[in-house]
Amino acid sequence: MAAEQIHAVNAPAAPTAPTGTTPIVAAGGAAPATTTTPRARLLLRGESAVASIGIGAAVILLAAMTALSWWTDRAQRAQVAQWSTEHVRAIGATLGGSIETLLSQGELSQLRTLVADAARAGGLAQCRVALPDGRVVADAEPSRINLQQLPERWQRETAAKTDVACDASRVVATFPLSVPNRGSARLEIAAPLAAMPGARWEAQAGVGTIGAATLLVTLVMYRKLRARLRAIGAVREALMCAAQGERAPAVLAVNPALGAEAAPWNALVEELDALRRHANLEQARQAVGSRGRIGSSSASSGDGARGDLDAAFDAMPQGLILVDEKLKVRYANGAAAVFLQAKRDQLPHTDVSQLIAQEEVLAGLRGVSDGTLRRKTTIEVEQKAPPGAAAGAAAGATTVLRFTIRPVRREDSASAMIMIEDVTQQRVANESRNHFVAHATHELRTPLTNIRLYVETAIDEGERDPSVRGKCLNVINQEARRLERIVGEMLSVAEIEAGSLKITRGDLRLDQLFEELMADFAQQAQEKNITLNLRLPPKLPVLQADRGKIAVALHNLIGNALKYTPEGGSVTVAVDVSARELVVTVSDTGIGISEDDQPRVFERFYRAQDPRVEKVTGTGLGLTLAREVARLHGGEITLKSELNKGSTFTLTLPCQAEAA
Amino acid sequence: MKITEQRQGAVSVIRPAGPLTAAEAPQFRQHVERELTANLGRVVLDMSEIPYVDSAGLEALLEITEQMAQGAQALRLCGANKTVREVLTLTDLAPLFDHFDDVTTAVRSFL
Repeated sequence: MAAEQIHAVNAPAAPTAPTGTTPIVAAGGAAPATTTTPRARLLLRGESAVASIGIGAAVILLAAMTALSWWTDRAQRAQVAQWSTEHVRAIGATLGGSIETLLSQGELSQLRTLVADAARAGGLAQCRVALPDGRVVADAEPSRINLQQLPERWQRETAAKTDVACDASRVVATFPLSVPNRGSARLEIAAPLAAMPGARWEAQAGVGTIGAATLLVTLVMYRKLRARLRAIGAVREALMCAAQGERAPAVLAVNPALGAEAAPWNALVEELDALRRHANLEQARQAVGSRGRIGSSSASSGDGARGDLDAAFDAMPQGLILVDEKLKVRYANGAAAVFLQAKRDQLPHTDVSQLIAQEEVLAGLRGVSDGTLRRKTTIEVEQKAPPGAAAGAAAGATTVLRFTIRPVRREDSASAMIMIEDVTQQRVANESRNHFVAHATHELRTPLTNIRLYVETAIDEGERDPSVRGKCLNVINQEARRLERIVGEMLSVAEIEAGSLKITRGDLRLDQLFEELMADFAQQAQEKNITLNLRLPPKLPVLQADRGKIAVALHNLIGNALKYTPEGGSVTVAVDVSARELVVTVSDTGIGISEDDQPRVFERFYRAQDPRVEKVTGTGLGLTLAREVARLHGGEITLKSELNKGSTFTLTLPCQAEAA
Repeated sequence: MKITEQRQGAVSVIRPAGPLTAAEAPQFRQHVERELTANLGRVVLDMSEIPYVDSAGLEALLEITEQMAQGAQALRLCGANKTVREVLTLTDLAPLFDHFDDVTTAVRSFL
């Protein structure tokens, strides 16, 4: 149970993996931070282990004391009884002779005096002389005498033995008397047991004192022992934990303050852990190392030039197949087997038509074999996800393979070589680049056309009317800025591609920034009859951020919201500042983004597959750039959207700067 | 272990979250191999959310890259943290993989 508690305490920090699957390196990393808690617990547990011994010892001691006192009492009683019996016997023996003499002489009054005196002097409870028929001749209590005149003779009984009995409170003895010439009689004596309360209490007090002293000594020894045994107790607990499979040193370590044993134990635990980690690593190395070189070793095991060629072809990422004139495979390298989804050792002597389904490729090969095709041909074919692949996650994955067929000239036969390359990614990249160029030229042309138009207007009519000229120049300025922004965006995206996009942090006054943004978009919103709301908190912090890039990111988010919201809708920009982060949400009531498109809108050149989106000009770069900027600042942009209802983009930036 | 995947162009980016240990290795391997077959090897393993790898996890990675080595390819890893990189280096396995700093460069390597 203790071990489970420790598991629970330690669980969040040190990974206590099930036995056999211990992490190789991570265990050490998190350990030191958590050592205090388990150690504090170990201290408690160490004490309790010794405490049970202490309590046990005290109980045993008390029981021993009680037994001893009882035994003393019993022995004392036995001694008193024996003493009283002896006393009574002595009295009986002394009295017996005198009584016999007096009875034989018939001296009744002397006998009675003797009996009374003896009872008084000996402290007897009863002393009587009786005849066998029960008549009492003499008694210490005169009222009990019922024989006044001693007869001459009376009956004689066979002499009984002296009988002494002892019960809890008194000793009763009967002595047979034999009176010569007259008959037999008996002397009955009863004496109370000598009570010696003083002696008894003295003995008990002695036992008590000794007991108390022993208890005290035991207590002192226990305290000393406990101090000495704390570490041992903790080590014992640690061992119990270890027995349950616990191996983390953070759990097994013992507080060094507990005693001298703790330090060597901890050293052992650390050493064991180091050894175990080392062994783990070694094991992994062995399990893995020998097989890491299989490829090269098997290749070099081939003989001479043939093996070298095999190895060389197998190191090619392109598939290579050599077919003979009957279109059977003569040779195929490893990559070819992968591209054709076939087992490599089954490839030789297989008919190519069983491997390659594409008719164009087969036609080319036939051309080579019948001699009509003498130059190299390149055929690119698309194939859907291969039949072996599971549906679902991989569905829709299209692969483009490029087959290059070259005739191989030989004297006797017309064989051919096929090279297979996977050009899917190039194809995709080309497509998106073409898309981009188309969009970008369109995007660039719009402001250029506007500029040209207004320049013409300004030239034609501006000379006459300065107000028209001013208006034209204004529009030209605006369009030039738009152009500048587009070019900047393209450059930034190129930088993202190259991984060289950098940010330069400086003071960023958010209130100014939002003022400018609102001014930029006010006209556009007004033209489309869109309500543009800005919700700012009363106090805005000054961020340490790249002003230009953040401005572009926000510009893109708000611009998108306006672009994709139909007339009469609304766009809301809300800013929320907490101690740790700045959250800007841009929500619109626009066309929304379908669930299929949502994960992809941040990809470069990607534009949603929605006819309403395609109508609007755009490069497909804005969101890519915005997210990259957010990430470079340590923040993120997330998206929530529902088709036809609107989208909400949330930009989160960490803010270290204090509120201005 | 939660495994998320994302397509970038024709490349599938697999991002497992959580330690790669004996308990997770079979599921992980199956997932990656399925993607590999479906994409003819155009797979990037984003390791940024894997805190550490144990020997079973290493073996799974090794088996995958070994299988790819038959087609003269190697598993492309990116974003591996220091602990994971250390393990790969100490076990001499690092040369069997292609390493990239981030997903973007790894994906670009297919061009």
